[in-house]
Amino acid sequence: MTLPGGAAALNGALLEARHISKRFSGLQAVGGSDGLSFGVDRGAFVGLIGPNGAGKSTTFDLMSGVQTSDTGSVFFNGHDITRSSPDTIAEQGIGRTFQTPRAFESLTVLQNVVAGATSPGESLRWAFGRSWRNHETEIVEAAQAILRRVGLHERAAARVSDLSGGELRMLEVARQLVRDPTVLLLDEPTAGVHPGLQERLAALLQDLHSGGMTLVVVEHNLHFLLALADHILVLADGALLAQGPPADIRADPAVISAYLGGGDAA
Amino acid sequence: MNWPQLLVTVLTLGSIFGVVTLSLNLQYARGGMINFGIVAYFAVGAYTYAIFTQPPPQGLDQYKFGFGWPWWTAVIVAGLAALVFAAVTGWPTLRLRGEYLALTTFAFAEVFHSLLLNERRIGNGTVGLARVERPFGDWGPIEEKYVFAGAAALLLVATLLVFRRLLVSPYGRALDAIRDDETAALAAGKPAQKMRRQVFLISAVPVGFAGAVYAMFTTLAQPSLFTAEVTFIVWIALVLGGERSVYGVVLGTAGLVFFEEIVRAWPFETVRSAQIAASVEHVVTGLVFIAVLRYQPFQAAATRLKVSK
Repeated sequence: MTLPGGAAALNGALLEARHISKRFSGLQAVGGSDGLSFGVDRGAFVGLIGPNGAGKSTTFDLMSGVQTSDTGSVFFNGHDITRSSPDTIAEQGIGRTFQTPRAFESLTVLQNVVAGATSPGESLRWAFGRSWRNHETEIVEAAQAILRRVGLHERAAARVSDLSGGELRMLEVARQLVRDPTVLLLDEPTAGVHPGLQERLAALLQDLHSGGMTLVVVEHNLHFLLALADHILVLADGALLAQGPPADIRADPAVISAYLGGGDAA
Repeated sequence: MNWPQLLVTVLTLGSIFGVVTLSLNLQYARGGMINFGIVAYFAVGAYTYAIFTQPPPQGLDQYKFGFGWPWWTAVIVAGLAALVFAAVTGWPTLRLRGEYLALTTFAFAEVFHSLLLNERRIGNGTVGLARVERPFGDWGPIEEKYVFAGAAALLLVATLLVFRRLLVSPYGRALDAIRDDETAALAAGKPAQKMRRQVFLISAVPVGFAGAVYAMFTTLAQPSLFTAEVTFIVWIALVLGGERSVYGVVLGTAGLVFFEEIVRAWPFETVRSAQIAASVEHVVTGLVFIAVLRYQPFQAAATRLKVSK
């Protein structure tokens, strides 16, 4: 199978979209003429870019089960997850964050991360017993370690409403990391995040990447993304405009004219 | 005024309705579900208890079934019947959220009420079932009414403990997460739909038990006892007590029942003053609600209780 932009065959991809599309009240959000197809290899760091309204977040929704594709299929680890519910997809190992950061308002920062993990005590059978307490210590320790990693450990007892927008984004990342996902989909992780925290985020993503985690990142901050990702997908009007290594994308005339607007981001 | 009698009645009815309010609190404050038909689950418990304990029909009875089972088996069946009723009504309704769920549950309760009124083979229609067994006699020197109040209070405490156990576990935390932000909870692998359904079923069981105890207490299972008014009283008790605190919920219910009973038990000198009091009761009730909602004394008391613990 060959893709526009000269991509290699998708066979063996960890996460794969085949001819997916989505319409909202008649408007095509994702898909183009033949549906959107692309693959993400295991351990890859993929950047997903495109102008506003190109369908990046909708693509994430289709891959994480928040929305169901009108056509085609999504495969993860060889399994068709097109119609799976978002919670089963999360349990299978696809983590995601949202364009507008989401949090559990009634819980503290630490509890938010703890709630991200799946505890055996969440099943009704275990909830009435006491044995979940053994796992609880482990989960809390893991959550604390992750809060340190994202730089929120001093805010562990804070209420979510006291966090800044950037801290909320980091909290969302932490809540997914505690699940140790195979693939992490990050939707605009630097939006509203101040430069100091952005550096920390870049270091964290590099660290996760070298640890073997597969990352797909939607980002408007191209300086940030092109420096980190090893493969870029460019979406325009819901279709794949180009893909390849960051250097090629920077030089691609179609991308420059459609999106980069004269290469000012290169 | 007979204060001991008043207090016993408040303890008994306060405990019975406290169980219903607690269950509603679990559904609403933790599960994020608005159930405006809670009276139906209560009625299912009461009718089931009556049907399973009463003798077979005779004479003018129009009801079809009377099994004459011992009271304690009938109480268990009442809880199970409420569970089954919740499963049947929850299956189509729980896909809906917010006000749509509120309207559908309300409609279900109204349909059920209408069924009790018109299908006489269930419970004699409007007449109701009047031969409900009252199982506790005097216990030695302890009068029956005290035994009864104790049993009702025991049911309340047991419900409180079971719910608490559930809610302090990771299960409760996952419920909070789902209520706060369902999309984020799903992304964290929480099966929101399934857990909501479980909560709906679990919380119906104590309501069924409470219905059985209520039928014992009034020795009556009659449609007029199970109108939408019960639903609203329980909701008001929930709001009065502050939905976030289980102790507040219990205090709110007790306060509401106390107020209703004291108006009822007040020794009026003349028939005229009793009539005036009866008509003023609703006005005063409304004013008290407004005052309580403004100052939230029960919620504050419950918060203090929590802090001092």
